[in-house]
Amino acid sequence: MLGLLDDVHVLELTNSLAGAFGAKLLADQGAQALKIEPPGRGDAARHEPPSIGGEPHPDRSSLFLAFNTNKRGITLDVTTPTGRNLLLRLLARRDVLIESFPPGHLDKLGLGYEVLRQANPRLIMTSITPFGQTGPYCHYRSSDLIAQAVGGFLYTTGRTNGPPMGTALEQTAIIAARNAAIAIMAALLHQRVSGEGQHIDVSVMEAVVSTPPNFIHQYSFTGAIAGRGFGDQTVMDGMHLTTSDHAVTLTTAGTGGNPMETWATFLDEPRLLDAKFSTRQGRARHWEELLALLQGKLAHWKAHDFMKAAMDQRLVVGVVQSPEEVVHCPHLAERGSFVTLDHADAGTLQYPGAGFLIDGTNPAHGGRAAPRLGEHNVEVYGGEFGLSTEALAVLRAAGVV
Amino acid sequence: MVQQAILNGIRVLSLEQVHVLPWGTAFLADFGAEVIRVESPDHMNDRRSGPFPDNAPGDEWWNEGGTFAYWARNKQSLCLDVTHPLGKEAFLKLVARSDIVTDNFRPGTTRRLGLDHDSLVAVKPDIITLSCTAYGHTGPWRAYGARARTVDAACGLSYLTGYTGGPALRASSNYMDHTGGLNIAYALLLALYQRRKTGQGMRIDLSMYETGVSCIGPAILEAQRGIARPRLGTAHLWQAPHNVYPCQGTDRWITIAVATDDEWQCLCTAMGTPAWAVDRRFDTVLGRWQHRQELDAHLCQWTATHNDQELMHVLQAHGVPAGAVLTAPDLVANPHLRERAYLEVFTNDNAPRVGPRVYAGRPFRKSPEPPIPLRLVSALGQHNLQILQEVAALSALDIQQLIDAGVLATQPPETDKPALGASSYQARGEGTQGDPHYQEAIRSLSPQLQEG
Repeated sequence: MLGLLDDVHVLELTNSLAGAFGAKLLADQGAQALKIEPPGRGDAARHEPPSIGGEPHPDRSSLFLAFNTNKRGITLDVTTPTGRNLLLRLLARRDVLIESFPPGHLDKLGLGYEVLRQANPRLIMTSITPFGQTGPYCHYRSSDLIAQAVGGFLYTTGRTNGPPMGTALEQTAIIAARNAAIAIMAALLHQRVSGEGQHIDVSVMEAVVSTPPNFIHQYSFTGAIAGRGFGDQTVMDGMHLTTSDHAVTLTTAGTGGNPMETWATFLDEPRLLDAKFSTRQGRARHWEELLALLQGKLAHWKAHDFMKAAMDQRLVVGVVQSPEEVVHCPHLAERGSFVTLDHADAGTLQYPGAGFLIDGTNPAHGGRAAPRLGEHNVEVYGGEFGLSTEALAVLRAAGVV
Repeated sequence: MVQQAILNGIRVLSLEQVHVLPWGTAFLADFGAEVIRVESPDHMNDRRSGPFPDNAPGDEWWNEGGTFAYWARNKQSLCLDVTHPLGKEAFLKLVARSDIVTDNFRPGTTRRLGLDHDSLVAVKPDIITLSCTAYGHTGPWRAYGARARTVDAACGLSYLTGYTGGPALRASSNYMDHTGGLNIAYALLLALYQRRKTGQGMRIDLSMYETGVSCIGPAILEAQRGIARPRLGTAHLWQAPHNVYPCQGTDRWITIAVATDDEWQCLCTAMGTPAWAVDRRFDTVLGRWQHRQELDAHLCQWTATHNDQELMHVLQAHGVPAGAVLTAPDLVANPHLRERAYLEVFTNDNAPRVGPRVYAGRPFRKSPEPPIPLRLVSALGQHNLQILQEVAALSALDIQQLIDAGVLATQPPETDKPALGASSYQARGEGTQGDPHYQEAIRSLSPQLQEG
């Protein structure tokens, strides 16, 4: 690993996907990340299907594996006085705490920001919760679906005449996590200069609202209410069209402002030059006719051949690839985009990198797969704390660890 | 601009266009960095794209657009032709006094212009560069361009997205620009952190495609073991009821996501325990999941008689996870967001006819809170002279030379005004409806936020 953050110590106490992904973003850049899970079942994500390799198993959930790379893991019941005491000792050496309890919960345990700040003034406490620490909804319950709904994402995805559809695979957690990582990095730069920590309040709802395409200011400039249909009548611009194998999606980019002339030439379909298709509004009005013309031509192409031919002429198109095709994508292989990690139960797998190379290298190469439940209890409690085997046995027997 | 903010003293030169990179550098501007947009009057997609007040571009339309204001806020504008030898020379003088240079040209462009990482290191040894491209600077697809929607497709997210049992559908509107922009901001802050430690810059090659792949990690792992993740729309792999349900009114909906037996009992109580719900099949997680279609059909009938937002509060008060499907006007009026002062209202000093408008804010708050930033919306080339004099240390004579050579600009070369209603939002088909009373909603928000 490049280890850009190898002098940053992070404690993750979240039990939420947003918190887990936020800590992962830091851990994948070398931060010393320690994940605390409740004894027994551990993080809820451990129990989400599917499991990698056969029977359901808490160490093999694909969601847990993907969201927890490069962390060490321990178990600790922070709701007990003994657990609270151990947590405070752990926090004394940390730069960052990421937590996602309901607002006020840590205060009740005597672990609110003021207490933690007294114990460690450098601590950057980051609370990632569905609605934030304040406001009338702050105690409301949520989920990925609900976050998409209240954040405006759901209303704007799906077919024009269908119900709201949503986007797959926990993107609301990822958006919140990326925002949290940005806020944490800014806070770290500040901490390294001033020695001061801070409390960061991240709201998943707000992270989602800041994500759809400009729909708040679009409304405030024109009164237009963005709705669904970004993918079903926009034939030249985002709709999925079929070829002889995979679906593809076209754009009007790279056509020098003459999209229909360019595409008519490329596809050898002069009927695309009809004046009724010349404007965006016209293409929307006559979308079914336009679709039929394009499908007639695209049916003769294989998707990847089509992509190469079009992209070589600087047109901009996309192939709708399955995750399996992505795993085997020659482009990603040549860039060293995936990171190979071994896991005792899940085996050797390719994991996505950070999305960028630094000086030509994937910064996340090397590193470790997600921790098994309590995998580093002995290493942390014994090594870092110097607890004896007997002492650890006491904590285990009491259900604290 | 921002006073005593975290990135005061950091200077960023950004050769940025359209969405993804401007979104990334906007975070640095908000944190107090001096972000200089290096613009070309010939490539103004972001200034052209509107939206304009009531869809009517004014005489100086290039300074009026809402999307431009949102993505370029707090950045300075230098309208300099870096492809001209004199423009390039001035640009390199700026590089020598900058910390970060970013671009989102296609790979190869900066090398052709002599502005690639190695050329910049020659004038500023510890420079940080970030180039954001569709597929990255290496690999067989490196020359290919992208839009957010083609990356949604390529990275696997669209494949996973669709109604239950239906075909793949476009995942979202421009999600890849946003998640990519967030990744840009993160990478740049990492680089600044590293430079503090080591004194060294770096070259960041960020690809939208790979950022997209990093958003679907679980599916990437599953694919290697032959596990196919089904498209589920608003349904769930094991929870029921978990869906979107119609409410009173046109196109009004609520989401309900029940995971546990307790939450199911809470929902029954909230509904007044109707006869259909007193059914042993629905008592258990497994039973509800097995009979989820029947369950959804009953729930639809119940939700359809309720107002979505009122129902959300009733259900949440009973401990049931529920959320109304909110629209832009709902969010502008939303009491929770108002109490948290999430939305921002600002004017555009360079386009008085725009007046105060509402924009989405930042989803994080810090304590202690940094000073509230002013919102600068730069006019095209507004900072040409200031930057060239104060940063590049050019003389009046040097600057006159640039003006004479046509290297500087403050307006587009010809008045190719966008047509009335031509902003990209207007042509997205039937999915866009209008609210004739929107200005009242904005007025109701403006005083409140301006006081705050």
